[in-house]
Amino acid sequence: MAKEIFMPKLSSTMEVGTLLQWFKEEGEEVEVGEPLFEIMTDKINIEVESYEEGTLLKKYNEVDDEVPVNTIIGYIGEADENVPNSAPVPESEENETDKQEEKDTSSVIGEKKEADCENGEKVRATPAARRVSREQGIMLEEVEGSGPKGRIHAMDVISSKELAQSIRHTPLAGKVADKEGVSLENVQGTGSNGKITKSDVLSASSMQVETTTQEPLEHVKLKGLRKAVADKMLESARSIPHVTLTAEVDMSAVVEVRKSLLPIIEKQTGYRLSYTEIIMTATAHVLGNHRKLNAALIDNEIVYNKSVNLGLAVAVDNGLIVPSVPNVQDKGLAELTVACKELGAKARKNKLDPVEMSGSTFTISNLGMYAIEGFTPIINPPETAILGVGQMTDKPVVRDKSIEIRPMMVLSLSFDHRAIDGAPAAAFLTELKERLENPFGLLV
Amino acid sequence: MREITYLEAVREAMSQEMRKNEDVFILGEDIGIYGGAFGVTRGMLEEFGPERIRNTPISESAIAGTAVGSALTGMRPIMELQFSDFITIAMDQIVNQAAKLRYMYGGKGKVPMVLRTPSGSGTGAAAQHSQSLEAWVTHIPGLKVVQPSTAYDVKGLLKASMDDDNPVIFYEHKLLYKTKGDVPEEEYHIPLGQADVKREGKDVTIVATAIMVHRAQEAAEELEREGINVEVIDPRTLVPLDTETIIKSVTKTGRLVVVHEAVKRGGYGGEIASMIAESEAFDYLDAPIKRLGGAPSPVPYNPELERMHVPQKEDIVQAVKETLNRA
Amino acid sequence: MTKLSLPENVTNEKLIGLYKQMWLIRFFDEKVDEFFAKGLIHGTTHLAVGQEASASGPCAVLRDEDKITSTHRGHGHCIAKGADINRMMAELFGRATGYCKGKGGSMHIADVEKGNLGANGIVGGGIPLAVGSALTSSMKKLNYVTVCYFGDGATNEGSFHEALNLAAVWNLPVVFICENNQYGMSGAVKDMVKIPDIATRADSYGFPGVVVDGTDMIELMNVSNVAVERARSGQGPTLIEAKTYRWKGHSKSDAKKYRTREEEKEWRAKDSIKRFKDVLIDEGFITEEKAEELKQEAKKEIENAVAFAKEGPMPGKEDLLTDVYA
Repeated sequence: MAKEIFMPKLSSTMEVGTLLQWFKEEGEEVEVGEPLFEIMTDKINIEVESYEEGTLLKKYNEVDDEVPVNTIIGYIGEADENVPNSAPVPESEENETDKQEEKDTSSVIGEKKEADCENGEKVRATPAARRVSREQGIMLEEVEGSGPKGRIHAMDVISSKELAQSIRHTPLAGKVADKEGVSLENVQGTGSNGKITKSDVLSASSMQVETTTQEPLEHVKLKGLRKAVADKMLESARSIPHVTLTAEVDMSAVVEVRKSLLPIIEKQTGYRLSYTEIIMTATAHVLGNHRKLNAALIDNEIVYNKSVNLGLAVAVDNGLIVPSVPNVQDKGLAELTVACKELGAKARKNKLDPVEMSGSTFTISNLGMYAIEGFTPIINPPETAILGVGQMTDKPVVRDKSIEIRPMMVLSLSFDHRAIDGAPAAAFLTELKERLENPFGLLV
Repeated sequence: MREITYLEAVREAMSQEMRKNEDVFILGEDIGIYGGAFGVTRGMLEEFGPERIRNTPISESAIAGTAVGSALTGMRPIMELQFSDFITIAMDQIVNQAAKLRYMYGGKGKVPMVLRTPSGSGTGAAAQHSQSLEAWVTHIPGLKVVQPSTAYDVKGLLKASMDDDNPVIFYEHKLLYKTKGDVPEEEYHIPLGQADVKREGKDVTIVATAIMVHRAQEAAEELEREGINVEVIDPRTLVPLDTETIIKSVTKTGRLVVVHEAVKRGGYGGEIASMIAESEAFDYLDAPIKRLGGAPSPVPYNPELERMHVPQKEDIVQAVKETLNRA
Repeated sequence: MTKLSLPENVTNEKLIGLYKQMWLIRFFDEKVDEFFAKGLIHGTTHLAVGQEASASGPCAVLRDEDKITSTHRGHGHCIAKGADINRMMAELFGRATGYCKGKGGSMHIADVEKGNLGANGIVGGGIPLAVGSALTSSMKKLNYVTVCYFGDGATNEGSFHEALNLAAVWNLPVVFICENNQYGMSGAVKDMVKIPDIATRADSYGFPGVVVDGTDMIELMNVSNVAVERARSGQGPTLIEAKTYRWKGHSKSDAKKYRTREEEKEWRAKDSIKRFKDVLIDEGFITEEKAEELKQEAKKEIENAVAFAKEGPMPGKEDLLTDVYA
């Protein structure tokens, strides 16, 4: 009897998978464990191996289809077996209703959106909100209303505009942009923290002129990992009220610690201890005192995690993946160094198991290798916070009323304001700063 | 400045005018030796005599018609209608005669008269002696309608009403008669059609009339403690209405609560709300307009029920918060 | 030359003028009737054909400064108080040249300067106004008298009773003239009032009530004169009930089912104009020829009024909102 091929559910948050390719054609023989098709989840691209052996009898889905998990996408069986012409609905009743509901909602939302876009009539918004949206050229459909029944007020439109425009620029750059008709959204800032300066605007302006006269631009459709990252970032930025706190840390002591431990760990493991591991250790230590930051916000519930599993944002070709280092609180620096280095290497080779990319409870994004001071990291949902690590640079600082040169580093903590308020987040970051400035506390 | 009551301010305005202008006289029920049902004309008979403080039979239609006829022929009568509820009996003379004669006659003749009358509930006088029927007369072209809320305003507005060449319906609020305020001794004139911003604010505009002006101000004080900054506007005259001041305020705040004692249904608040909806300010409205008014029942006798019939401070506070989504 | 007893201020010349005036009143209303029938003027109108004496008689004894208030059936009162028939006709044609600039129409003709405080569309509505006018005269010591016209129907209105009582207690110079033309719109007086004479209602208020034959011009002048002098000398109001008849229906489109042809014939026989002419001829004031000449003059004047009215401009949009407030 023919066996179903399912879209696998590869992580707790995975709801759909995008079919990237089939490795077999209908009629081809398939071995157990042989890669059958490749999919992209919300986290990674992965090759799915066959659980069965036999002939690939049917493929219901094509490349680029987005398929809900547990959906039958094909059959494997004896060459002469009959299989349905169209994909059957999964047997599980529960799944069926789930899916039906899902479908219903999505179709309702789809209809609503369409209607909204057509005439703007079904958006609940005050006259003032409508006026501001007209004046600012903002689609009300894209604004979240804060009033009863989602009514959009003028402030909602303004905030949405500010959100969309959270582009830092000098006042002069703003004026020049207005004059030149350049949208600041399209300008790369070169000032501090990416602040857009007058010269950025002017060069963008000249580029604008150029582009209009140049060859057609290259258009690349978002797909694969890029698409996954794009969707995830958008969802996080849209649905989570982010607040970012920054603190500058004197890394003198950490530099000393690393200097002392580096040869020891290298000798023991063959890997070189990096600042990342020390920061992770300190973070795990401090998170133990600040449960709210080591939590998840799922369906209006805050779930406090027991262990500290640190996600490490790793840049790979065309995207960003976040392998997870479990139980950091129990790991010594040597063990941690090994774990990090191995995961990093696997990530860069795209060889991570799904399990190695799930379960993180707090994420660290380290841009210290670049000339970055601080930044506003985007939370990796359902986590409630993320720590951004900037470059360590020597800076003059005041110590005991005299100026000294110290290695300074900026930590940027973004947190989900729905789950955490400013004060506890600030307390966490302050304690983390203290721990890094006095790492002996880690021994306590 | 000297403090006197609202009631004394009404009397003073009339007395000062009558000393100057022989054409001005008062007619009404029990306004002579009794001094009027609320004592407004007390002492005036002694000063001006029965020719000019004319005590009438209980004949509201004849009192009103006589006022109109004397106004049409050169006098400047002030008629006191003992309770504003009794306008029902005088209505033909007010609506079909006073308001329309000049227009019907192609602009010939004028009817310079003031109909003064106490309105409002809160005295336990029940359904036929407690109404606020000002919306009825605002509907009639040819009439002007005034509703002062303070001792200062009542004197200046009554002076303006007596100076006006048109029939003016002048509503005095019973519960305000005893309220005090700074009132200049000399005569002064507050133009009809000029609203007063009783309190400046930026978050919500309350337009309130008569005694509701005071309740709105109390509500505004309470709201201020919660960080809500309310602007309170007293139109002072309903006809002509100072639309400009109200529009300007709503354009600033984006939110409007209208409060009056009169039954909400068909009340003048509807006119103010509609006026705003049709105005420039529409595009600045950031919440639905709220109206507070009397309950759709006759005014009850029982003091608790009577209180419940009309908007109270708490109702205004609540309404303001609702427009701010902070209720 | 005459044994006829007449008020002092009614001169021979005035008598002849009154005869012509009565024809003006009749021709005016007949012309209006014709125009309504032809659809030349719109709205509604109430004709006083047959009631010429009760309009002309009281006004005949008034001075220029005296005032009247009138009713919905008021064209005759206007003419009797000296109104310009050209402007009256223009008003019925809705012209800007009319008394009310075309804004009042048949029921609201007023000539405040000439002492006509206006016709009134509300039955009984003008009675308190007349009392107010009388109050002005009294307070300002102007010594003018206000004559207040109303019909039999108005005497069942509250305003009648309130106003008469007030005029009485304040002893005001006002003369109430009830033109009892026997019907309200359709209601016969005998069905609406229990007493035979409305004039007796004056007893309730403490001043004289007099019944007079409403088709007898001489008697009307004399009775009115007594009442007006009484008022002028500070003795207070009088109620005069002039028993008369409207020859036409209440207003246009009245089938007059409430009365009989015989009754109408009886009253037409008591034509007030004819009765007045007979007296004038009998007493040697005019000849038959002169009477005819006056009648033709009146007819001609009405024709001229029609021509004037038709020539007048219509009011414009800009007039809609003027005159609402002074």
